[in-house]
Amino acid sequence: MSGSDLVNISTKNLSFSYKYSYTKSLNNITINIKNGVKTVILGSNGAGKSTLFFQLNGVIKPDIGSVKIDGVTLKYRRKDLKFARSKIYIVFQNPDEQIFGQTVEDDIAYSLRNIGMSKDLIAERVEDALFQTGLTEIREKSTLQLSYGQKKRLIIAGAIAMRPKVLIMDEPTAGLDPQMSLEVMEIIEYLHYNGTTIVMSTHDVNLAYAWADEINVLRKGELIYTGVPETFFSDLPAVYSSGMILPSIFVINKSICSMKGISEAPHPRTETQLFSKLASGPKGTLIIADIKNIENIPEGTHIGVFGVIAKKTVNDRKLKVDYCFNGFELCVGDCISGTNATLICDAGCIPLVEYKLSILRNMGSDIPYRTLGRGDA
Amino acid sequence: MAVPLFETENLEFSYNSRQSRPSLDNINIAIHKGVRAVVLGANGAGKSTLFYQLNGVLKPKKGVVKYNGKPIDYSQNSLYALRNEVCVAVQNPDEQIFSVTVEEDIAFGLFNTGVHREIIDKSIDDALFKVGMAGYRKKPVSQISKGQRKRVALAGAFAVNPKVLILDEPTAGLDPQTSCEVMEAIDQISITGTSVIISTHDVDLAYAWADEIYVLKNGKMIYSGEPGAFFSDKKSVISAELAIPHSFSVNSYICSMRGESETPYPRTDSQVICKILPSDAKVGKIRLIRTSKSVPDIGKIDERIGIYGFNTRRLFMDSGLPVDYNFNAVEHCIIEALNGNNVTLYCDECIADKIDSRIKSLSQFGKCPEVI
Amino acid sequence: MSEQQQMDTLVYGSRMVSWSPLGKLLFTITILIVNICTDSLFVPIVTFAIGIVMLFYSTVCKIPKFILLALLGAILIIVIGVIMVLITGNDESCVIWDDHILWLHICVTEISFNKAWLVFLRSIAGMTVMISFATSTPVPHLSQGLNQIHVPNEVTELITLIYRYAFLFLERMEIMWNAAQCRMGFNGFMNTMRTTATIAVGMFITSFDMASKAQIVLECRNYRGVFPVYNMPAKMSVKWILASVIIFAAIFVLGCYTSNTINMAKICGFI
Repeated sequence: MSGSDLVNISTKNLSFSYKYSYTKSLNNITINIKNGVKTVILGSNGAGKSTLFFQLNGVIKPDIGSVKIDGVTLKYRRKDLKFARSKIYIVFQNPDEQIFGQTVEDDIAYSLRNIGMSKDLIAERVEDALFQTGLTEIREKSTLQLSYGQKKRLIIAGAIAMRPKVLIMDEPTAGLDPQMSLEVMEIIEYLHYNGTTIVMSTHDVNLAYAWADEINVLRKGELIYTGVPETFFSDLPAVYSSGMILPSIFVINKSICSMKGISEAPHPRTETQLFSKLASGPKGTLIIADIKNIENIPEGTHIGVFGVIAKKTVNDRKLKVDYCFNGFELCVGDCISGTNATLICDAGCIPLVEYKLSILRNMGSDIPYRTLGRGDA
Repeated sequence: MAVPLFETENLEFSYNSRQSRPSLDNINIAIHKGVRAVVLGANGAGKSTLFYQLNGVLKPKKGVVKYNGKPIDYSQNSLYALRNEVCVAVQNPDEQIFSVTVEEDIAFGLFNTGVHREIIDKSIDDALFKVGMAGYRKKPVSQISKGQRKRVALAGAFAVNPKVLILDEPTAGLDPQTSCEVMEAIDQISITGTSVIISTHDVDLAYAWADEIYVLKNGKMIYSGEPGAFFSDKKSVISAELAIPHSFSVNSYICSMRGESETPYPRTDSQVICKILPSDAKVGKIRLIRTSKSVPDIGKIDERIGIYGFNTRRLFMDSGLPVDYNFNAVEHCIIEALNGNNVTLYCDECIADKIDSRIKSLSQFGKCPEVI
Repeated sequence: MSEQQQMDTLVYGSRMVSWSPLGKLLFTITILIVNICTDSLFVPIVTFAIGIVMLFYSTVCKIPKFILLALLGAILIIVIGVIMVLITGNDESCVIWDDHILWLHICVTEISFNKAWLVFLRSIAGMTVMISFATSTPVPHLSQGLNQIHVPNEVTELITLIYRYAFLFLERMEIMWNAAQCRMGFNGFMNTMRTTATIAVGMFITSFDMASKAQIVLECRNYRGVFPVYNMPAKMSVKWILASVIIFAAIFVLGCYTSNTINMAKICGFI
């Protein structure tokens, strides 16, 4: 077996219907969730997204078909289920339904205690999860007093503490205001970059398009598409029949390309990628500052933050910041327009930022950057 | 100047005295009749609390709320009268729905506003059709999905046909196409004379739809007026915990690249495309057809077809005619025309003029498709 | 889907759902009474037949498994009762079996044997009739029906609201149950207890939350103190009274004529 800690979930001819329902909730689904691939399950209300998720960790047993985790067929014995659920973790849409602890710490430790982990290890894991989601300050607060955004971060912290190989997120940004969605997406992006496979369901096409490597489209319980987003969105009848619309960026790129007579590919998926594709002229430099190098930030540029930890540090030190969320997009937007910008992020995020810049390079804009404390790049 | 529909003066409200800050703090707002107003704010900014002031459910701790120029009278009878005219639909459908079956719930609101029994039947049918739930009349609420419940809750508000319709996050939790359908219904309702106020934190939606936005942050109103000016101030957008709409940032980038002025601000994809269209581009024509009661004859047209409006939708659905764009059709048809193809748009008689002028208003951005 | 939801689906899909709830209630009660008015064994057989026909008609011949299971459970309890009747005969009459097992004096007589059969058949027949009523009448209909015989509005409104909110709770509970499973909350006895308690507390908080919000929303919807009903269920017509009287008379007469014509002890060959 290649790498026993790589979880790879697949289902074969999965069918399921709720009792006394005349229609099948899931019909003949064969899906492959590949390790390390950012997977989105796209579908309208009631297409079967949540039902599918519950099959993947064995909460619901399919009527027909099988689920394989790492090539091993899931048998619904106690031991197998425990294994499956500690490797594959589901974060629900509504945090209220998933919080089981009285205080923040308590809730993060809930799953860990359930699998009988030792006290020391639990403490360590909880500490780490609190830190990564920026909840350290309110660790002793009652879960009833949290705001919606904090609750959302709390259930993600609960997931981080379990260190699952696959993290399934059911509509992670539904009901969140823009800033909180971006915050959640930053955490997700960070987790993914550090080796967790992330599967997310959504009906927000803009989000799906910007984030996904691979989309699986469900329509009334049937899987109608698997693959890269662009191919799906180019097929209008399929998009419309599955209750979706075209992502804004896709529409604009298509129109601009047909106007200019250039090829639609490479498809930009975010605003900065679109700008990178269109931009000509001089670019500003992106200065990437690790949180340890905050003092050395040059004056006079717009400052953005990226990642929850960086945001917390900035808040603690009461630094004046221009873009306190969506920092990457906004700073890079500045750079493409020709002014310099500074992005503050956690040391662990620097490779991620570099990776994101490399995507922009593929789109056509090579944005010069230097990382503070590492000498000039 | 006309008397505003709603006006608040130094409105202050808190749910209990132990709160660290009031839920609404010194709100001065004037919403005029027929203006498409959007209250924008992050979770917990006070959007719903503000709405409950407007229909008199919550009484301000300080300040006054005026409806049609008169301060709200909090006696029981005048509150009933007020709520007959001002209908608030809350965000969570499970809180909104009280009855066990779909039709009972819509009838519940109708009875409360004193609608006659004879016309209730038709009102229920119409309202359910508007939200695309025509076949679900007899269904028990417990057997329909969350998204469908949301639509039933909206139908309940549409059915009472109020003078002012206040909708708290009307598209929350709905998939994109259903959102478009719901917004289309709201659009038509507002064109035909109902004042509509919605709250949302979806900036793209607010930007595309609103005439005026009111931005709340932690119970304070930080901006009121035309959306373009608000979003051009990045700092205040960020401090209100909101984001910048796609159309806005695409426009501002493209303008800075070309060295053009950002105004007029395009608010939808079609307007953005219109603005960046080169002046020598070939633009298609939009054939705008007003549908009357009979089924339109579409036999010989080989263009793409869009439909807009309840009546048209019903006619096309009943007769099973093929349609290319059956949601968000105006937007789709414009984009299609801007890409150089001719399209046909069927729409209801009562909203056709408005659609016509909406298409023509594209001329402020650049080349606009000809309407025939 | 929980059993309650299945039941709800079943009830609203019933072919008899639009019939007058009060009429159905009267009819059911009549049958239940006549079922025990005479001691003929024919009567419960006939009422059982009526019950089964009604059940099949109402559910369009689709009787869900959980109802059969409930029926089976009830039969088990009935059987225990019936055995008690059976073995406590009066030993002055024709004795079939008389014995002492441990401290128990078992005495099965011809009379007790027949009586046991009667009790058994009556219970099964009664159950069937009641289930056919329950699967064809939604609770809100019943409460509105009661309103027609001047049960106060408040009671019927309360029943309707409780019925509506019960499903919200059930849905919520199902989700929390799934969530707990995902977080391995049922791993071992202690964890199961803890999780169950937490869910219970969660439901309690939810209900408070819901109640406070319901007040605001009722006002938004211009609630005026009376819960209007659009589709009042059909009123009880004379037909229902006639049908009930006729069925009562017919079965009663049948019962009187056939009283003591079947002797189960003889049929079973004990005497």
